[in-house]
Formats: sequence, structure tokens, C-alpha cells
Amino acid sequence: MLRSSPLLSLFAFLLCWGAALVSAVSTTGNRLLAILDDVGEKENYSKFLGDLESRGFQITYETPKSESLALFHLGERAYDHVIFFPTKTKGLGPNLTPQILVNFLNAKGNILQTLSSSTTTPNSLVSLLAELDITLPTERTGLVVDHFSYDTLSAPETHDVLALPPPVPVRNDISPLFSAGAPKDALLAFPHGVGAVLGPREQLTPILRAPNTAYSYNPKEQSEVLDASDLFAAGQQLSLVTAFQAINSARLVLLGSAEMLQDKWFLAEVATPNGGKPVKTFNREFAKRVSAWAFQELGVLRVNWIEHHLNEVTAVNESNPHIYRVKNDTYTISLSEYAYDKWSAFSLPANDVLQLEFSMLSPFHRLPLSLDKSQSTPEASVYTVSFKLPDQHGIFNFKVDYKRPFFTNIEEKTTVSVRHMAHDEWPRSFVISGAWPWIAGLGATVTGWVVFVALWMYSAPPTDKKNKVGSKKTN
Amino acid sequence: MRWLPAFLTASLAFAGGSLAAKKTSEERFNSFHAKSIASSSAAPIKLSDPSYRELTSQPRDYTAAVVLTAMDSRFNCQLCREFQPEWDLLARSWVKGDKAGESRVLFGTLDFADGREIFMSLGLQTAPVLLLFPPTVGPHAVANPEPLRYDFSNGPQIAEVVHTWIARHLPDRPHPPLTASYVAWPYILPIIQSRNIWAALTLISILLFTSGHMYNHIRKVPYVASDGKGGISYFASGFQSQYGLETQIVAALYGLLSLAGISLAIKVPRIRDAKTQGVAVLAWGGIFYFTYAFLLSVFRGKNPGYPFRLPPFV
Amino acid sequence: MSAETLQVLADVGKGKSTRGVLRVIILALIAGASIASRLFSVILDPWFNFRATKYLVANGFYNFWDWFDDRTWHPLGRVTGGTLYPGLMVTSGAIWHALRALTIPVDIRNVCVLLAPAFSGLTAIAAYLLTNEMTTYNSAGLLAALFMGIAPGYISRSVAGSYDNEAIAIFLLVFTFYLWIKALKQGSMLWGALCALFYGYMVASWGGYAFITCLLPLHAFVLILMGRYSTRLYVSYTTWYALGTLASMQIPFVGFLPVKTSEHMPALGIFGFLQLLAFLDYVRSAIPSRQFQTFLWLFAGGIFVLSLAALVIATSAGVIAPWSGRFYSLWDTGYAKIHIPIIASVSEHQPTAWPAFFFDLNLLIFVFPVGVYLCFQELADEHVFIIVYAVFGSYFAGVMVRLMLTLTPVVCVAGAIAISTILNNYLVAKTPTEEDQQAAEAAEKKGTKSGLKSATKPVVGIYSLWSKSLMVASMAVYLLIFVMHCTWVTSNAYSSPSVVLASRMPDGSQHIIDDYREAYQWLRQNTKEDAKIMSWWDYGYQIGGMADRPTLVDNNTWNNTHIATVGKAMSSREEVSYPIMRQHEVDYVLVVFGGLLGYSGDDINKFLWMVRIAEGIWPDEVSERAFFTPRGEYRVDGEATETMKNSLMYKMSYYNFNNLTLEEAFTSENWIIRIYKVKDLDNVGRDHISAAAFEKGLKKKKATKKRGPRVLRVD
Repeated sequence: MLRSSPLLSLFAFLLCWGAALVSAVSTTGNRLLAILDDVGEKENYSKFLGDLESRGFQITYETPKSESLALFHLGERAYDHVIFFPTKTKGLGPNLTPQILVNFLNAKGNILQTLSSSTTTPNSLVSLLAELDITLPTERTGLVVDHFSYDTLSAPETHDVLALPPPVPVRNDISPLFSAGAPKDALLAFPHGVGAVLGPREQLTPILRAPNTAYSYNPKEQSEVLDASDLFAAGQQLSLVTAFQAINSARLVLLGSAEMLQDKWFLAEVATPNGGKPVKTFNREFAKRVSAWAFQELGVLRVNWIEHHLNEVTAVNESNPHIYRVKNDTYTISLSEYAYDKWSAFSLPANDVLQLEFSMLSPFHRLPLSLDKSQSTPEASVYTVSFKLPDQHGIFNFKVDYKRPFFTNIEEKTTVSVRHMAHDEWPRSFVISGAWPWIAGLGATVTGWVVFVALWMYSAPPTDKKNKVGSKKTN
Repeated sequence: MRWLPAFLTASLAFAGGSLAAKKTSEERFNSFHAKSIASSSAAPIKLSDPSYRELTSQPRDYTAAVVLTAMDSRFNCQLCREFQPEWDLLARSWVKGDKAGESRVLFGTLDFADGREIFMSLGLQTAPVLLLFPPTVGPHAVANPEPLRYDFSNGPQIAEVVHTWIARHLPDRPHPPLTASYVAWPYILPIIQSRNIWAALTLISILLFTSGHMYNHIRKVPYVASDGKGGISYFASGFQSQYGLETQIVAALYGLLSLAGISLAIKVPRIRDAKTQGVAVLAWGGIFYFTYAFLLSVFRGKNPGYPFRLPPFV
Repeated sequence: MSAETLQVLADVGKGKSTRGVLRVIILALIAGASIASRLFSVILDPWFNFRATKYLVANGFYNFWDWFDDRTWHPLGRVTGGTLYPGLMVTSGAIWHALRALTIPVDIRNVCVLLAPAFSGLTAIAAYLLTNEMTTYNSAGLLAALFMGIAPGYISRSVAGSYDNEAIAIFLLVFTFYLWIKALKQGSMLWGALCALFYGYMVASWGGYAFITCLLPLHAFVLILMGRYSTRLYVSYTTWYALGTLASMQIPFVGFLPVKTSEHMPALGIFGFLQLLAFLDYVRSAIPSRQFQTFLWLFAGGIFVLSLAALVIATSAGVIAPWSGRFYSLWDTGYAKIHIPIIASVSEHQPTAWPAFFFDLNLLIFVFPVGVYLCFQELADEHVFIIVYAVFGSYFAGVMVRLMLTLTPVVCVAGAIAISTILNNYLVAKTPTEEDQQAAEAAEKKGTKSGLKSATKPVVGIYSLWSKSLMVASMAVYLLIFVMHCTWVTSNAYSSPSVVLASRMPDGSQHIIDDYREAYQWLRQNTKEDAKIMSWWDYGYQIGGMADRPTLVDNNTWNNTHIATVGKAMSSREEVSYPIMRQHEVDYVLVVFGGLLGYSGDDINKFLWMVRIAEGIWPDEVSERAFFTPRGEYRVDGEATETMKNSLMYKMSYYNFNNLTLEEAFTSENWIIRIYKVKDLDNVGRDHISAAAFEKGLKKKKATKKRGPRVLRVD
């Protein structure tokens, strides 16, 4: 590779900056690929696609059989996001094998996959989902029905259009991304959808679960009677809309009903069997949020900066030193959250905490980080904690491991060395009161020796005059 | 308490001396000698003015070694105190080693307190003084009867040095060795103190260690091994292995070589007969050469790349 | 050649100044020869010391003293300044600074490489001085210097580039002994203090200082037992002990060991005992009575026995630390193998087979007893030292190959005494005359008593010229063989550093196998600077120095648990090893594989030690037995046990070249070094087995076909 000249890199920078200005949409890019059986089908989804385009995505439409279709070009991703609309073909061809799709996820590409009960899901996608521990009904198709919460307007007989309230989070420490701000009586229409069963993998989170009374069956084979042992799944085990976020934060959303995104369901009104009056579906907003989440517009967290320093008055307060001594320390992390078009300060969900681990092999400290209002700005919130380093030298990691459903995985590891006390950093002996007897002993010995030597040198040998025989030879 | 035996000896000597004033030289020697062998602490004889005169009177056919000393603490004679035990040891071990009196030496001590007159008459200003009175008659007689005086100017003297000095002046007579046997181990001590035994032990252990005995001990190697053809393989193949017998053979070779070396270095130059010496040189030199040559060939068996050899074992 | 001409020849060297000049020239030549014979090949090793020296030169002494090295023993780090013997580095640092002050620009690397040969020249001179204290023959000293200079037993640790503690320690050992003998002979505080000074230097340089710490008290003790207590002994020993101990305690690594551990207790005990003896000696001189003295001696002996008992009690009560393992294994030779496999695993700690003695010392090994025997002839204090040293030195050398080093000096000294005695007897022009004979006869009659039976008769001399020339010629041949042997051994065995292997091709040409350096270079150029490398500890220093990458364990085997962790990771199944490697943030695993080349020093050969060491810490998880076939064989072929086949080490070496949690990153030319990269966790959360299966295109079994009840999601 040629070395780029400064001018060239400046130019490149400007170009990127300009591009970023134009498409301030997704945090990862705006190249969106839509896979359809027939490009003409896109008219059914014109509002949804129009919404996407208005948010800055550049949509390319391809059919699975297209020769030019390639997710990767020269080893780099050619698209940032992919939408799969239901296709009738069984296979998706050599350009969309499950391996390529997994590689696409590994390369931080995002996928929004839609299903429909009227078409069988392509092999390739089923295999992909199987890798992610998402199981579709056998025969790769199924229909979710619910005899208690169907739309009385469009499916009074078949009960295959579900009318559901916007989803509430499955746990109370999860941010209610998809239901926040919805009107109280809002209803989602889930027409002719397929439910999936999720494995226990932590990367998986159901966005929309089927109601307790829903179940899935195969209208072709099980139209008359559904044996209990043949039941695919029922109730809350059926996930209608599923979120998957890989370790590298690449996202995949499995939308059980493609029809949800169609214009007609954006505009339709639905009513529940228990006598509610018909309301306009919440589908358009829901589709916006789901696609925004899938394409990294929602729930995206960013670590702006990390700073740690010695928290001692006398010390040189160097920022982010490589090495510490066994003593005090402060760690600060700054986080921002992205929503559609701007970064804002990230605020933790009500029941959640952000934790810092100080670990070597195992954590020596696990401390909650608290919000530091003085450093926070509208764009970024700053969390901080001060603590005393353990009395153990070694190579430690400041580790923030914040992985929550619907939020970008944050796993920040900052390695520092903690060294032992240097030979001149211990308190001097005269400071330690316990050493005073020894110091006194030392002084006494030295003085005694000097006195002895002085006496010895200046005392003449005894002269005993009457000792006539002995003394001469003695000394 | 300690002084009591000395006192008794002194008074006895005094009494004996006055009684035997007119005895012959032979009688005098016998009486003094009998006195000194009477008990282990009797030698050297504690003298006084008269007994000193009796002992040293001429003619005499014996040698008398007398120390004139000043033990009283008044005189603060450090040298006297240091020398006295040495002298006691020398006298005792001599007398013990020569009970029959063949060396015809008598040891005595004259303290200033007991023999002030003698000190005066000799004009002595310092102490201690060791006088050796040579015999004037008899087989060992010397021409000059004047006593020899030992030189104390080099500071404290140990018994060994004085022993050598006395022995030097008593040629042709047995010199009972100095024994440090104040601990009563008369039988074990010669063994413990024998250089030959210690030398042998040292050499044996060195030979054991350098021939790989510790390896056998730690690795528990077999004593011998079969060579696979029904015979015995004496030498293990490989540089890092060995058999028990192998190390014994090697130790024997080393021992033989060392023996030859010792003979060549120490024994052969001491052979007075020229012809015998020639034969010895030839024999030991030959043994050294052939053993070494054999050792080299054994080593080449262990280390095939080894290039050096000596003729008969190529 | 007649006797007269010989006489003329001998007269050339008669003049005192001529002799002096000759001696100096010969010594200089010997020193030169000893340096030259160490220059066969130059490759720096071990790298740790070099790295430490570079750090010292770059950061100054105090930073070196407080050095915390975060690139070894990941993630524990090593308080290097406090856990090494700084003598070597400080020496080369000082030399470097001195040369720079003399405006000689020299790279610190060159100083390090040439330090060992330079010090071997000094060792030769020290051996000369020591031998001169033993005998009146100057030739003995020169011979000793020559032997010391070229004896392979010493060359093995001091070839150019062998930058280890022993490089300077052997010089210090010999010189300290020389100063001790000097101090003892003169009863001089000055020499005693000098001895202590060099002892302190020795302590700063090598752990083998304990040899001096034990040998000097032993010598003193033997002298006391022989009834040779004297003020000379008192002065020299007391001076040495007091100052030397203070000096040794200045080294952080030694610290308070001299007053705490058993191996230092003899020195302390003899110090105390000497005080007692000195006091008794004073009393003895004040109260002259043999009976009383007998009592006093018994009293002294009683005190000695009592304090010995007190020492034993204190040790068992734990007040005094017992023998350190390495030291203890010298006495109880079976101990290490059972209790501290890490010590037993080091090849240098194996017992010595006899060929090694002959290999390292050749002729000297059997001339050595002759010299010791000659020491018995005179048996002055210094000869007692040689005898004591000889016995213990040969014992230790027999137990541990490495301690051949400490034996070599005494072998050289004693051998030189022996050979010079022989030469002095046979290499004289003078033939005994009639008078000599008679004088000898007379002397024999006089019966001067010497201690040795063989030396009772007086020396006459050698009569015939032919026996003289025969002996001289044969000695010359032997010495010539010795020189050739040393050169051969040095060039063949001790000049191929462990990083470069040399092998012979079938046609006899030499083939250099440079895989180690190839691999280290690869690591240096292709991995992140802080990529952690896991390997068996043998290669730790080399990776740290040559590849400049952090390692988990290295040759400074101070932490048994950490080494055992690596051993466990190597000897367990991948499922067990992978979390260990993740926890230790391992990026690459390096193994040495000799299977392709038939190189025996590979990791599979050392594997049992890994297993043993791991078993010592986790007896429930690792079992040595499981690596042996039912017939008790250690097999790596088709009959290897399941445990063996599934162990990470085996998989990396032979079995499953494609691992699941590791991927091959690099294999050197002869496959000796294989480097594997530790895979990350799977991005989409699968285990590595299914991820690998998926990559190969195998279809995943449908989850609905799972047997057993379905696992329900609870959230």
C-alpha cells in the first residue's frame, strides 16, 4: 500500500466527514440492502421503506437470484444492513449461504429478517437462525393464532391476525425501548405471523412475545386437529419479534410477520375481541423502532473516553498511567447513547447499575460507578468511582462489562500494572514508633564502641614497678 | 583444691631432694623418674631450690629439662600462664610414652615462689625460661655441660614446637610423641587421628562419587544387563545411562590410576635403590598408561563420536 | 641429552626476575587461551539476563532495583529487582559505563556476550593464586590456571554469549576461597574483610553462594575438631561471617534468609561456637590447668550439642525455615522427585552419570584423588580446606549435573598439585648422588615422623635419565590429550546454544536447525506487542527476550502454582483448557514438536513433568496414571490412552492438527515450533465445536428433534 500524503489523508477525512453529515442516521452506515422475491413487491412496503429512506438509508433492492448480489466486496462489507422480505424460493442461492450471513454478522452487519406464514422460509435463513439458537416450526412455516386476542375486524374467523399491546420489557432492568411513549390503548397488528422458539442463549431477547393463549400450528397439515405432542410451541415461549445481538453488537431482528410492515397494516384499525373500540395500529411506530434498533439507530451506546489516574494529593496526577503503585486510584468512564440522529447522555435504567471490576484472574474489586454530574454534559454522561488498589502487585484490568438486552455491548478493558512499593517508598524507620528501641540500641552500640575505643587508645598500660620478673615479656 | 596435689608434689620433691643429696647420677635419675611416673599428674616434677640443685648437679647421665616460671598472679606473667599447660602436656606425654626411661629425660618446673634463690643465682630477669641440661657422662654425654636455653622471644609456644626443639637436642634417643590424650581414648584416638585412615576414606568417597555412584543410588539402575545374546553387557550404551557394575569397574580404573599417580608422585622418588626405582617407574608408568588407554576406549564405547585413543586399545 | 645440558636449560629460568616475568607471561597466555577457547560460537543466552541488563543500562540502578516486570508471569508480574541476583547485570553495566567513560563506544550486548570469557580468564588467575597458597611449587599454580581455563566442566557455562550468573560466579567462588585461605593463614582482618567483600559479591551474583556459606563453616568446624582452633581462625572466620552476612543481607532476594533458613545455620552456629571457644581459650590461658581445660572442652562440646538440638527443635517448630527444596534435595535425593517435581524436572538437576565426569574433566578426574592425597602429606589448615571441598564438591556434583561447576575448581587445584609434584620429581636435571643417598638413609634412621605411611621415607630423587624422560614424555602426552579433549568437547558439545540445533546429515555435513529463532522472529513481527504467549516454562526467557512478548511462565520457576496452571492447561481436555487460557488472556500457545525431525527435546518428552506438576496442585483433575497405558508404558503412538489423546498438548503436537479452540498460526520450517492462536469466543454465542461444524458446512441437527424435555426460556 502506498503511503498516503498528508494532503490525501486530509481530503479523505473531509470526504468522510461530508458523508457523515449527509447521512447522520445509523451509527454504522446507511447502505441498506433489501431482498425481495420481486422488486415490484416493494410497493407493499412503501411507507416503511419511505420511512427508512427519510431517515437517510440508501436502499438497494435485489432478488436472491440476482447475479450481482454480493454482501462482501473484496472482503469488505458491501452493505451495512440487510432486510429479508419473505421470498417464495426455497434456497437463496450461492450468494446468501448461511456461512456468508454469519460472516456478515461477524463483520458487524445488521440483519432484519421477516417471516410470513404464507411462504416457507428459505433454507439458508433457517440454518442461520438455527446457528443463533432460534428455532422455527418444522416445515419452516407455521401460523400463530390466538382465540382470545385476535383482530376482530380483519380475522374474526381465522383468528390469525393478532392484536397485541406494545411490548413491555421482560425484565424490569431493561429499557422499554419499543413501548415508550405509546398511547395507553395502542395495539399492534400481527397478521399471519410465524412464531419462533428461542434457546437460552444470552444474546437473544424477545421483543414481542405471544400472549399466553396463543399457539402455533401448521395450517396445511394440522388444520383439523392438533395433537399435543405435535405442538410446536405456545404462549410466551413463542417469540413473535426477536432481537439478537452478537458479541460484536451486530444485530439481527426476526420479525414474525412481514405483513406488519405493509402499508395496509400501517393504516388499518384493529379491535380486540373483548370489546375494545377499533384503534389505529401502532405498527408504523413499532416498525420504525424495530428497524431503528436493528440498524443501530436505537440503543447504541458509545464509550467516549476512559480516564484513570492516581488519586493522591501529592502525586503527579498523570492521566492514564501505565503503572500504579499499591494505593489510591480513580477511574472514570464517559458514555453516550444514540437515538436516531444524535448522541445524548446515557442514563441508566432505573433498576440497573454500571459496575467497574478491577481484576487479575478474578476481580479484586467490583464497584458501582456513580454518575458524576459535574463532568456530565447533555451529550455525555460521566460515571466515576474512586477506590484503593489491592495490596497485590500484578497486571490488572479495569473492566467495565455492561451487557444488557437492547443496548450495545460494552466491554472495556484497560490494562495497567500495579507495582510493589519501591525500596524508598516505605516509611523511614524513625517514623515507625516500633523501631525506636532498635534505633536506640543502634545508637547505644555505636556510642559504646566509640567510647571504648577512645578509652582503650588513651589509657596507658598499668606500670607495676615491683613486678620485676613477669611484666617485661608479657605484652 | 587444685593446688593441693601440686603442693604435695613440691613438698615431696623437697623432702626427696634433701634426702638424696649424695646419690649417684643413676640413683638420682631413678628416683626422679619413679616420682614422675607415679601418677599422671606428677610430671613435670615440681622443683624447689634443693631439688633443683640435686637434679642439675654434675655428673649426670641424663638430660634434665627445667622450666623456670612465675605463676603467681602477682607477677602478671601472661607468657608463663600460657606456656605452663603446654609444658605439662609435653612432660606428661613424654613420660607416659617412655615409662622405662629409655630416653633418659627428666622434666621439672621451678616456680619463682619455690626457688627464689635459684632465680637470683642465675640472674634471671624474665620468665619463663626453659633450660635443657645435657648429660655430662654416659653414652649421650656432650662436651659442654652448660644448659641450653630455649628462646621464648617469639611469644607463646605450643607443646609441639618445644617437643621438636627438645627432640632435636636429644639425638639417638626415642622421642615419645606428643599425645593430646587428655580424654581417655587411648584406643580410638590413634584411629581417629590416623592420617592414613582419613586419607583412605576421603579417596574412597571421592572415587565413589566421581564414578557415578549417586546416579545409581537415585536412579536405581540395574547392576548388569543382558546383551541380548545370552551374555552380559557390562557397559550401558548411551552417554546418560550406566549399570551398577559399570560404575564399579570405572571406580576401580580410577582407583588404579590414582594409585599409580600417588606411587609415581610420592613413593618412587623415595626409593633408594636405583634399580628398584627404575622397575617401579616402569611398572607404575605402564599401569597408568594402559589403564588410561583402556579408560579412553571404554569412554569411546559410551560416546561413539569420541576421537581420542591410545595405541593398544584402538 | 646429558644432564649438563639439561642443567643449562633449567638455569635459564633460574633468575628470580626472569621467573617472575615468565610467570606473568604464562598467566597472560593462559588467560588468553581460556578466552579464545570460549569463542567457538557466539549466541546470546539466556535472554532474560540480557534484557535485565538492558533495563539496568537504560533506566539506572535504582529503577532496576525496584523493577516490576509486567511482561513475565502474566498476569502476576515479577518483582524482578527483588527476585534476582543483580551481580551479573550490575557487573556488565559497570563495565559498560567504565568503557564509555574511557570513550570506548561499545554496545551493551557485546559486553554481555564477552563477559563470561573475560571472567574465565580471571578465574584462571584466581585458581593460580589459590593453588599457590597450597603448595610451594609455582608450577602447580600455573597448571591449575591452565586446567581452570580450559576444563570443559567450566567452559560448559562460560562460553561467549552464555550470559548467566555462573559466568561471573565461578570466578567469585574461587577468588573468595583464595581470600579465605589467605585470611586464615595470616589471621588477618584485612583479608577476612576482603573475603567478606567478595562473598557479598558472590551472594549478589549466584544462588550457589550457599556452597561457600556451608563450606567455610565446615572447614572451620573440621579444623576445630582436629584441635586446630587458633586466633587466626577466630579472626578470619569472625570477620568473614559478620561482614559477609551483612553484605549478603543487602541483596533483596536474600534479605533475612541468613538468619532464618537452615542452609545458613551452620555458618551462624560455627560463628557462635567460635565465640565460645575464644572465651574458653581465654579462660584456659588465665587458669593453667589441664584438668580444668578438659572440663572446659567438654563444656564446649556440650554447648555445641545442645545448640544443635535447639536448632533441630526450632526448625521443627517452624521458627527457622527448613531447607529450601532445591537445597534439601541435595541431601535426600529421593525427595525432589516425590515432592517438588518442578525441581526434579530440570535437566540440570539430574544426577550425574560417570561419563559426564570424564567428559567434563578427562584426565583430571583421576589425578584429582592424587592431589587430595598429597594434601594429607602436609595437612596444614589450607590443605584441610581442599580435602573438605573435594569430598563435598564431588558428592554434590554426583547428585546434580549442574554442580559439576563447583567441583571443577577443586579438581583443577588438586590435579595441578598432583601433576606438578610428579613433574617436579621427574623434570629435574639433578641426579641423586651417593651423599644424597646417605643423607636420606640417615634421615630415615632419624625417623622424622610424617603422617602418611607412604611418605615416611625421605625423598631421594630419580636416578636414571630414562625413567625421567619416560615419565615426562608420558605426562606431556597425557596433558596434550587433555588439551585436545577440552578443545574437542568445547567445540562439539558446549558451543551449540540451545536455541540453535545442529544435526549431522547422512553425508556428514552439518545441518543447522534454526527453528526457534525463526519462530521467535515470527512472533515478534506478526503479533500484537502485548500478545500473551503460553508455553512450557523452558522457553519463557527466550520468548521474553527474543520475541519480546509477555509470557505466562518462564525459567525463573518461583511460582509452582502458576506453572502447574500451565501444566494443567496443557494436559487437560480442550474444554478445560480453554477457560484457563481465556482467564489468563492467552493469545498464542507455543509448543515444541520434535515428531517430524526426531528431536528428542520436545514438549511431549517433557509432558510427564507438566502432568506431574499439575497433579501436585490438582490431584483430582490431573492424574499421571491416566497418561500411561494399562501396561504402564508412556505411549504417544496409536496405543496412547484416551486422556493422552485428548490432552491439549497431544492434540497440538500430533493428533488433531485442527483444534477447535485453537487455530494454527505458525509452524516453523522443521515443525519444531508450532504456534497456535487461541480463538475468541464465537461472535454469535455458539460453542466452538458447532461453530467449526457450521464452517465446514455440516447442517445443524434440528433443535426440535432434541430428545428430552424442552428447555423453556424463563425471562
